[in-house]
Amino acid sequence: MKLTERLGKEWIFFDGGMGTILQEHGLKAGELPETWNLSHPDEIIALNRSYFEAGCDVVNTNTFGANALKYPDNLQEIVQAAVSHAKTARQQAGREDAYIALDIGPTGKLLQPMGDLPFERAVELFGETIRIGAKAGADLVLIETMSDSYEAKAAVLAAKENCDLPVLVTLIFDEKGKLLTGGTVDSTVAMLEGLRVDALGVNCGLGPKQMHPIIERLTQISSLPIIVNPNAGLPRSENGKTVFDIAPAEFSDLMEEIAGMGVQALGGCCGTTPEHLRLTIEKCRKVPFRPPVAKRRTVVSSFSQAVEIGPKPVIIGERINPTGKSKFKAALRENNIEYILGEGMAQEDSGAHILDVNVGLPEIDEPVMMERVVTRLQSVIALPLQIDTSDTTAMERGMRLYNGKPMINSVSGKMESMEAVFPLVRKYGGVVVGLALDENGIPSTAEGRIRIARKIYDTAEKYGIPHEDIVIDGLAMTISSDSGSALVTLETLRRIRDELHGHSILGVSNISFGLPQREIVNSNFFTMAMQSGLSCAIINPNNEAMMKSYRSYLALANLDEQCAGYIAAYGNQPAAATPAAAGSTAMPLAESIERGLRERAIDAAKEMLQTVPPLEVVNNELIPALDRVGKGFEKGTVFLPQLLMSAEAAKAAFEVVKDAMKGESQQIKGKIILATVKGDIHDIGKNIVKVLLENYAYQVLDLGKDVPPEVIVDTAIKEDVPVVGLSALMTTTVVSMEETIKQLREKKPGTKVVVGGAVLTQEYADSIGADCYAKDAMATVHYADSVFGV
Amino acid sequence: MIELDRSEAIRYMGYHGTQPDEAVQASLTRCGEALQQAAEPKSIYRVFPLQHIDAQTLEIADVQIHSKNLARNLQGCSEVCLMAATLGIGPDRLIARASAVRMSDAVIYQAAAAAMVETYCDEVNERIRQEAAQRGMYCRPRFSPGYGDFPIAHQRDFSRLLDTPRKIGLTVTESCLLAPIKSVTAVIGLSETPQPCHRKGCEECGKTDCAYRR
Repeated sequence: MKLTERLGKEWIFFDGGMGTILQEHGLKAGELPETWNLSHPDEIIALNRSYFEAGCDVVNTNTFGANALKYPDNLQEIVQAAVSHAKTARQQAGREDAYIALDIGPTGKLLQPMGDLPFERAVELFGETIRIGAKAGADLVLIETMSDSYEAKAAVLAAKENCDLPVLVTLIFDEKGKLLTGGTVDSTVAMLEGLRVDALGVNCGLGPKQMHPIIERLTQISSLPIIVNPNAGLPRSENGKTVFDIAPAEFSDLMEEIAGMGVQALGGCCGTTPEHLRLTIEKCRKVPFRPPVAKRRTVVSSFSQAVEIGPKPVIIGERINPTGKSKFKAALRENNIEYILGEGMAQEDSGAHILDVNVGLPEIDEPVMMERVVTRLQSVIALPLQIDTSDTTAMERGMRLYNGKPMINSVSGKMESMEAVFPLVRKYGGVVVGLALDENGIPSTAEGRIRIARKIYDTAEKYGIPHEDIVIDGLAMTISSDSGSALVTLETLRRIRDELHGHSILGVSNISFGLPQREIVNSNFFTMAMQSGLSCAIINPNNEAMMKSYRSYLALANLDEQCAGYIAAYGNQPAAATPAAAGSTAMPLAESIERGLRERAIDAAKEMLQTVPPLEVVNNELIPALDRVGKGFEKGTVFLPQLLMSAEAAKAAFEVVKDAMKGESQQIKGKIILATVKGDIHDIGKNIVKVLLENYAYQVLDLGKDVPPEVIVDTAIKEDVPVVGLSALMTTTVVSMEETIKQLREKKPGTKVVVGGAVLTQEYADSIGADCYAKDAMATVHYADSVFGV
Repeated sequence: MIELDRSEAIRYMGYHGTQPDEAVQASLTRCGEALQQAAEPKSIYRVFPLQHIDAQTLEIADVQIHSKNLARNLQGCSEVCLMAATLGIGPDRLIARASAVRMSDAVIYQAAAAAMVETYCDEVNERIRQEAAQRGMYCRPRFSPGYGDFPIAHQRDFSRLLDTPRKIGLTVTESCLLAPIKSVTAVIGLSETPQPCHRKGCEECGKTDCAYRR
């Protein structure tokens, strides 16, 4: 019988320790265990066989670390041998009913951007091993000991794209219930269910006792069969050796207890032996089996957070969207991702639960931008993202590279839209927004919108997308053109909740389009919408009126226990905002900048602009203050944190001045590329230089870290940039710096290259052919000034 | 929770002989607290026999190391303890986040996290010292790849011998950098006789023109 026909319907038992047993048989520290497939075939067969004979239904191949990074020359041989040994063992044991799991462990690399392994390279590496293992005859793919949700996702995609075998995933949580990269049980279950794995669970790291809280949470939220493969207790060091203390009898008692918690598959990990499993199987078989129950929860997740939609309404921040925002459009055109990150962080601080991400602009490559923005946002922001685009290529890039279960905005009731979007949701997982409109447009009645909602639910189901992964947009249309439109929307919300038992979403502020003082209408409509069952509100969380509606609604609707959230937000504030302090106590602009006081610099700039022309503010106050700080830094009386605080204060003041200048063109001294070279992930020095250069009116094209020489050269050519600044931390990465300079000399002669970084010296810089060695950020500014002749 | 050694953090920020102003001190306090929340310190160590092949060649497990500086550090040692320690990925995220919006915080995080990882290494080192003392062994100052002529490429061997990716989430990039960034690997020599001079840190390092030298 196929494993998928049994999984979740009866007890399935996995095998136990492999590496720890091989160590007892003489595997040395640092020796790659998979080499034993070739050097000690009999031992591997005997070990596999002992687990089959102990009664295990699933036995793992000795391929935990088998990937092309560790076995560049003989991966195929290693993996084929492993599967063949397991087959031999199964035959010898007479267990043709049992299954062989192709064991897939982590790559041992950290994925970008925190490490240097690109996500797609991880998919490739896993894919290579899986293709070989599947072809050799494995019955399932077991992805295990995953401590990073992102790497787990890469492995699952690789399995789905390279074979038709069942895919099972177990993760390694610590005692706080966290993955090494911060994931929780909730966030990872959401992602793995979205990816439609066949079973999920936990292995390694902990003993059976310490796993209890994790298992309990799994049984509360997972709709899939749950696998539990603990170690034989917590590891302990004894004379430099790792030992595990729990003997087979005790282990099997503890596993019997776990079997009673409502899990469906059991096995062991480090320190467990065939005897541990034999006793476990004997005892657990007698425990009544309970199949998994569908939980029907609507959840989206990030690398570390899960957000449940309903019963409490959630806030989706709408600010990452260029519509009607000239600064945002400029940021997209200039590839200024930091600006977008800033928008994201501000919304997170304001209380958003999910961030909508829309980066569509006719003149940019949207799929590339979506990929860039999603990967950057998810490396610094813990909120789940809503991928918002009508370009399905951009949608797929965003969903694929997303570290979690995203929200998708949107699909409509048009067949064409559903045919394009549902397969992506099926493959990558996600909660998708279904717009209640179709080929005939937007129905003017609630009845019409509900009919389309039903069609969306029904079609989704045909793609295997469950009801709970759909959120219906009831469509807020402005009351300025149809005064009955709000009532239709509200009725639609009520019927989604009461008749369809579904969740709803609205772009709330659309309701007031064309009206004055829109905030008044928006915030009141928002309250009415929540009262009518609105599950997700796409709003600007930085808008205090909207957040006031939200927080007071939660308190009034008994969704904010003891009004704790309300009190936390408003308890310490004076009832009315006090007017800003009068000018008498204000600090002069120059002094605010020199002392690095950002808020004061903003106030001082605003005040000064009332009487002084913008250019004079810049030339007589801002620049001289910056120069004084810069000189102090060079003399050693001002230190780096102060220099940067002053730079930030100056930048904030510049923004105020820019706003005052409006139409007048901004004077840019010149364009400079900055990049941390390939192989290097330490970009702090480069970022310091960037802040300073921007202060001194240079336009910086920041290419980020770990940047291949080709990208730097291509950008320099395409954007016609005369100066390139490169940073590298270690001697090992100065090599890439040298290569970048070489390529620049070849393909764009005349480009000036300035270099910096911990190991660089003047001689070193000369030897790799740089034009300038900058010992610090100010030195780069001076060099730029000399090149551009300012 | 790891204590923040403020004076070390301030030294890493580049201050020589003076104290930062109030604003920087306040930021250091705030960033230090955030780091203590975000850090998930993890470490692993293991003792290996040491072979001295010649004056500049050593053998530890299946690894040969050519380094005069390390050989001098390990003179008279029969064993080494390899250690690896990391603050986890949380500090990397804080630094990345600050870099996007407030670079002054990023450099303060950077300095404070550097001080914290050293403090944590001292704690781990102390455990190693105590365990060694029970066996009548004495520790030498810890010595990391990249110090003097000890090739940084040995980060890979450390990672492999200690199985750091799986055990503590510490990985090595293609260019032999550690990820997460706030991580350390080191060799601690063990000998049966105490070494009178216990130089450590800056004084031990050959890079005498370093900006952060004490």
